[in-house]
Amino acid sequence: MPKLIETRDLVTNFYTYEGVVKALNKVGLVIERGTTFGLVGESGCGKSVTARSMMRVVQEPGRIEGGQVLFYPGEDGQEAVELLSQSEAYMQSLRGDQISMIFQEPNAALNPIMTIGDQVAESFLFHRKKEMCAKVLEDLKTADLPWPGLKKLLEFFYRRAAADPGDRLCCWASRTPILKRWQQRLFREARRRSVEIIAALDIANADQVVDRYPHNLSGGMKQRILIAMALACEPLLLIADEATSNLDVTIQAQILDLLRKLKKKSISSILLITHDLGVVAETCDRVGVMYAGSVCEVARVGELFRNPLHPYTRALLDAVPKFSVSGQLKSVEGNVPNLVDPPSGCRFHPRCPLRRKICAQRLPELALAGPDHLVACHLAGGRSGSAQVWGGR
Amino acid sequence: MLVFVLLGVSVLIFAILMTFSPERRAMTYVETPQQVKDIPQIIKQHGLDDPAHVQYFRWLKQISTGNWGWSFVAADTVWNAFWRYLPITLELNLFTTPLIIIIGIWLGTQAGIHKDTWLDHLTRIFAIIGWSLPTFLFALIMLMLFYGYFPLFPPGIIGDKVQMFILENPDKFHSYTGMYTIDGLLNGRLDITLDALRHLAMPVFTQVVVVVALLMRVMRSSMIEEISKEYVITARAKGADNKTIYFRHARKNALIPVVTVAGWLVAFSMEGSVSVEIIFNRRGIGWWLAQSAIALDIPVLMGMCLFFGLVYVVTNLVIDILYAAIDPRIRLT
Repeated sequence: MPKLIETRDLVTNFYTYEGVVKALNKVGLVIERGTTFGLVGESGCGKSVTARSMMRVVQEPGRIEGGQVLFYPGEDGQEAVELLSQSEAYMQSLRGDQISMIFQEPNAALNPIMTIGDQVAESFLFHRKKEMCAKVLEDLKTADLPWPGLKKLLEFFYRRAAADPGDRLCCWASRTPILKRWQQRLFREARRRSVEIIAALDIANADQVVDRYPHNLSGGMKQRILIAMALACEPLLLIADEATSNLDVTIQAQILDLLRKLKKKSISSILLITHDLGVVAETCDRVGVMYAGSVCEVARVGELFRNPLHPYTRALLDAVPKFSVSGQLKSVEGNVPNLVDPPSGCRFHPRCPLRRKICAQRLPELALAGPDHLVACHLAGGRSGSAQVWGGR
Repeated sequence: MLVFVLLGVSVLIFAILMTFSPERRAMTYVETPQQVKDIPQIIKQHGLDDPAHVQYFRWLKQISTGNWGWSFVAADTVWNAFWRYLPITLELNLFTTPLIIIIGIWLGTQAGIHKDTWLDHLTRIFAIIGWSLPTFLFALIMLMLFYGYFPLFPPGIIGDKVQMFILENPDKFHSYTGMYTIDGLLNGRLDITLDALRHLAMPVFTQVVVVVALLMRVMRSSMIEEISKEYVITARAKGADNKTIYFRHARKNALIPVVTVAGWLVAFSMEGSVSVEIIFNRRGIGWWLAQSAIALDIPVLMGMCLFFGLVYVVTNLVIDILYAAIDPRIRLT
């Protein structure tokens, strides 16, 4: 599969009063076209920050300090665009159009005082203005208007906007009272599209829902609206940042089902961030496990569950409640390290049951430990294939 | 609702009134010095030693018929004096209120967006000066600079020439509102309006600088809070530019707490700023109230308490309506 997006040695720090939080420590991930990539790990291990760094929407006081984010917009995955060195304007044209994101908290992620329709329509207005203006221009030919001069004026504006969405004259007119009403047909078109996309996500009465406010909708509905916003412009990559974590199980299943269906139909890839291993097993093709700001293991989903190589992955899998096993649930000993002052060497070593001297001294790098199986552990031994060092379970 | 709140206010005010001795309260009926010796008779006549509830309902009846008592500070009935002093304070507020709201919200928004830049520091210095420098000191400095050294903006309400003209030609200038800036326009006398504006400039400026500081700081912190919210990231992930994020998404949300503060500030300045009115020699509500408080002119204090109660009730009503207009979550439908 050709690559779609790749991060190399991504470093993101947060400058807080307590000190510099080293949230990402050289994160390297590859997401391929047409696949679902799962990113798992405990809370606070840097999953969301990785996704946000990819889109360059890290909030203050966070800063992306180093590394590369390579985006391959072409079908063959050859030409790369380095996103971290692009201008903010370029990123704006990319976000929501080619890469989009669904968020964890549907309650907080929607603007409480804007109607659903307005919020969904924004996606179209940011990225599909040209297309929509052309469509309105087409409709204007057959439209009945009270007086002919108005039609001429509207056509003038829409022709200019269709040629160049950032046209100076049109922008000025959009801010001037009365004159700004030229955009009404554009808004109507955006609204029509919003209703269409909301209806496509199995929401009943889509034409009424667009006039409601977020507080009128249920959590599941809000999550669907967020998905509608993210899918509006048919992105190449959809980042689902704990998109189902705050929903109850039935709604969660519905949303995951929806994502699977949509992936087949339109989106190329999904980056699914979650801490629920069940969700990962069910939906993902490849999985990356993160711990304290670095990636410790990446493998195909079957391989990871069958043959976990990193001690942290094993601990994580052991912590999943199983119906067949009775007795006390195993947990990972210790706590997530404070990232202001992370442990030296391998960041997992203070909690690792198999630590050696070398673990505290040197940071293990991601190395191939099997077919399509990367692991960052001194003991799992890279290419030498000494995965059996610490025996079976 | 409004009626009940006002009734509550009146009970409170009356309770305060009852703490004064009957003799003290009898003074409110004294209109000439000769009447002072008739006080025991006045007490009997007006039933000032009756049970409290009897007096309360009698007082309520008087108040509601417009009989608010006699103000010896104004040498007029409270009712008449009130309508004489109100336009002066109202005129000042007519100019300060929109300025405070516009400048406060605009500067606060800019400071919030450009947090920790030179612009933010500049507005912070401005706010500290406005908020911590005593009003009377600031007003005196202004008066010294712009009247003492550069006689550009004189104190008072209107110039002597205009005053003389109005006194000499009562038929040519009709006072519609008691506010010279507006009456000048209504009478087609632009020169009178301009002269009144010249006298207004300094008090308005002082009042704005002093009051705008608080509103600006509230707007700033509210804006900073909104910018860090999750929905802003959603908008950014949609591809929104900064302008859309700040002015379409964040500012409207940030206005919600600011509306309350702005409402209270407007209500507060209706009481008239005592320092500004005294220093710039504009005898309005604030000046009258201060004088009455010193001279223990009880009917004035009682009447004004009731008036401010009304102002605050109405302000709260307006705030609630504005809330509903901004925030769909608290609309009843």
